[in-house]
Amino acid sequence: MGSYVLRRILVAIPALLAAYTLVFLFIRVAPGDPAVAALGDYASAEAVRALRERMGLNDPLIVQYGRGLLGYLGGDLGRSLITGIPIGTQVASVLPHTLQLTFAGLLVGILLGIPTGVLTAVKRNRLPDYLGRTFALAGLSVPAFYLGILLILAFSVRLRWFPVMGSGEFSDPWANLRHLVLPALTLGIIMTAFVTRMTRSALLNVLREEYVRSARAKGLRERTVIYLHALRNALIPVVAVVGSQAAVLIGDSVMTEIVFTRPGLGRLMVQAMNQRDYIALQSMIVLYAGLVVVINLVTDLLYGVVDPRIRYD
Amino acid sequence: MKRWVCLAVFTLGVAASAQVLKIAFDAADLRTLDPHYASATMDRAVVDMVFNGLVRYKPGDITVFEPDLAERWEVSPDGKTWTFYLRKGVRVHPFTGALDGYELTSEDVVFSLTKAADSKTSAYAGEYAGMTFAAVDPYTVTITLPQALSPSLFLPKVADYAGGFIVPKRAYEALGEKFATNPVGTGPFRFVRHVPAQKVELAAFAGYFRGKPKLAGVEVWYMPDVTARLSALATGEVHLIEGVREQAWVDTVKRMRGLVVDVFGPGETHILHLNMTKSPLDNPIIREAIAYTLSRTELIQAIGPDLAEPLCGVVPTYLAGGLSCDEAQARGVFYEADLAKARALLAQAGYPDGFSLSAYITERASYRKPFENIQAQLARVGIKLEIKVTDHSSFHSLIRQDVNPLVHYEAWRPSADAFLTRFYHSASIVVTGAKPDTNFSHITEADALIEQARAALEPAVQAALWKDAQEVILRRAAALPFYVLKFVFARSDRLDYGYELKSTLALYPPINELTSLK
Repeated sequence: MGSYVLRRILVAIPALLAAYTLVFLFIRVAPGDPAVAALGDYASAEAVRALRERMGLNDPLIVQYGRGLLGYLGGDLGRSLITGIPIGTQVASVLPHTLQLTFAGLLVGILLGIPTGVLTAVKRNRLPDYLGRTFALAGLSVPAFYLGILLILAFSVRLRWFPVMGSGEFSDPWANLRHLVLPALTLGIIMTAFVTRMTRSALLNVLREEYVRSARAKGLRERTVIYLHALRNALIPVVAVVGSQAAVLIGDSVMTEIVFTRPGLGRLMVQAMNQRDYIALQSMIVLYAGLVVVINLVTDLLYGVVDPRIRYD
Repeated sequence: MKRWVCLAVFTLGVAASAQVLKIAFDAADLRTLDPHYASATMDRAVVDMVFNGLVRYKPGDITVFEPDLAERWEVSPDGKTWTFYLRKGVRVHPFTGALDGYELTSEDVVFSLTKAADSKTSAYAGEYAGMTFAAVDPYTVTITLPQALSPSLFLPKVADYAGGFIVPKRAYEALGEKFATNPVGTGPFRFVRHVPAQKVELAAFAGYFRGKPKLAGVEVWYMPDVTARLSALATGEVHLIEGVREQAWVDTVKRMRGLVVDVFGPGETHILHLNMTKSPLDNPIIREAIAYTLSRTELIQAIGPDLAEPLCGVVPTYLAGGLSCDEAQARGVFYEADLAKARALLAQAGYPDGFSLSAYITERASYRKPFENIQAQLARVGIKLEIKVTDHSSFHSLIRQDVNPLVHYEAWRPSADAFLTRFYHSASIVVTGAKPDTNFSHITEADALIEQARAALEPAVQAALWKDAQEVILRRAAALPFYVLKFVFARSDRLDYGYELKSTLALYPPINELTSLK
């Protein structure tokens, strides 16, 4: 398995290089100027020129490209063109919040989605199935920012159970948890929809397999047939969906971060894009690509846990 | 007994935390807290609380200057040398290297002004070109100008705005690059920390020279979603929020119990610049036809009467030299919709059925919505305006590349000279000017009057010249002024600013040592 992991990491290097190259070129092709964004429209053209020089934006593109690449090789993500803050520091400060939100969202999705998926499959074409599928459809259809606002209005403004804004300090777990509940529900309800649909369809396929019929013929209890025999085999596509959605959730969490005023990677990326903060954006895209690689790798390794027949040679 | 103790501790905790004022801005994060670069509203707000100028705009009223770090000042008979006498005992906030801070002296003031005048360390260097700064003694500073300037043009350069904020020398040198995110000043609040993409925390500075602030501190939150800001205000998690400059939003919040809406000046001018080099706008008859097509009244009605005030000159009337609607009428440069006249002018110019134009506009509602209204109004005389919506950063780049025949621009500038020089002097013509800036119309005919006004020392003469320059610009229909859009904030009725809020250069309701939470 060690050599498999190493091979996957080596294969990821060209992907990260391609991500860096593409974002480096595309953001510079787009109109907009980080110096104007930093100084505002009040600044004179002379001040903009001076800042562009200081930012190193007047250097040839190949020099700027090489500078970024050398930095990454040395583990340096560079400094924000707008704030001057090291990007590594910014990311280190927000990434724990993004990962916490993503994993909390995934957890909600799994804890709600798998039982609902099982229920809708077992009770196929009956009331629980219709209700579960309607819930899944609604979850897939509602945008995160809208769901977030609804939750704020209900649980923060009306009931005053949870705070509207912020993430709380990690040093204060209770406050941190209270700040996490509504954002995690926002992401989690959407995730639940994916997991429910995938669990239902995978389980329905598995329930038609001969070994399930054999298990039932042996006289095993229905609960044992479903949870011990069928569900385990149905989980492989569910793990695939959860894995791919985990990567998507990190990016998708931006609207949740904005609505709940949480610090996060997605929010930083959008901000960097709006301000044409080339260095911050390209570094964060490379980092995000790296995260996707890691998540995909972990997902692949989880297949082996779910189905021991899968080997990594 | 234990329960009562717990309750008392809890109550005390609430009371203590209630004295930390929380403000939420429509922003994702700070950009820079170096006052000589800060330009965005959320950055200016922090800078305003942390730094002082030699003089300051009276809190809540930008028409009056009063002493700040300087207790008095005088100008030489030739108008070229200004002398400022500093207050004694002004303390700089504590910072690494000076844990008790230190006393601000003329050395700091000279350092700060020199920094503000250097394009490598300031975005406002152009404002101080040719000036020299000298420390006569620890409490006296002289500023020598290359040419005499009137008080209304000079004092803003040393006031609590932009390059006029005084940066303490030792703190700046000790912190280096970190100063931009870890500012040290002399104001009522000192910087504590920045939580990226979330907030900045400030604490009351007990050594503030006007006295210890009533608040224990201020937290500046970055909340780009307006519903979240309003929800947080409604639940009491924040006390002051940046609002939406739309009448419907103002009306909604006014109806909410415990909340107050503040609509205040100076506001930003909304002016349509007509590119005199692009056909068919190079024909003055066509520009005049457009001027007689567009209804200022209709635009103001669409924006909201509480938020927009009519603007008839290109310099607003709250600045010296501003042209009122009555004055514009008296000078024969007041345009209001007259569609019959507009059609006749179009026919005279050879376009009886109108023509087509295409222009970029930013996605921001305060630009896009009036531009869409302009589009609808132009269609009444057959002028088809294709609107291309882009993001704000791209919009600013594109209009500076001279791609638009029409530029709808929202702006605030601190003086009539700044408005006229940067938008209507030939040196400021985009792309081709000697110092390309924001002259989108390419007008050149107002240069002499703008320069004469800048050199005039007598306030009445200067104001008259500024008005003459505007008459030239309006007669050429190079720019069509529509309205001044005011700023909107909403607050808890517990918040008392400590002064009457009419207008502020900080573009947010300034928080100072007198501000309190009831």
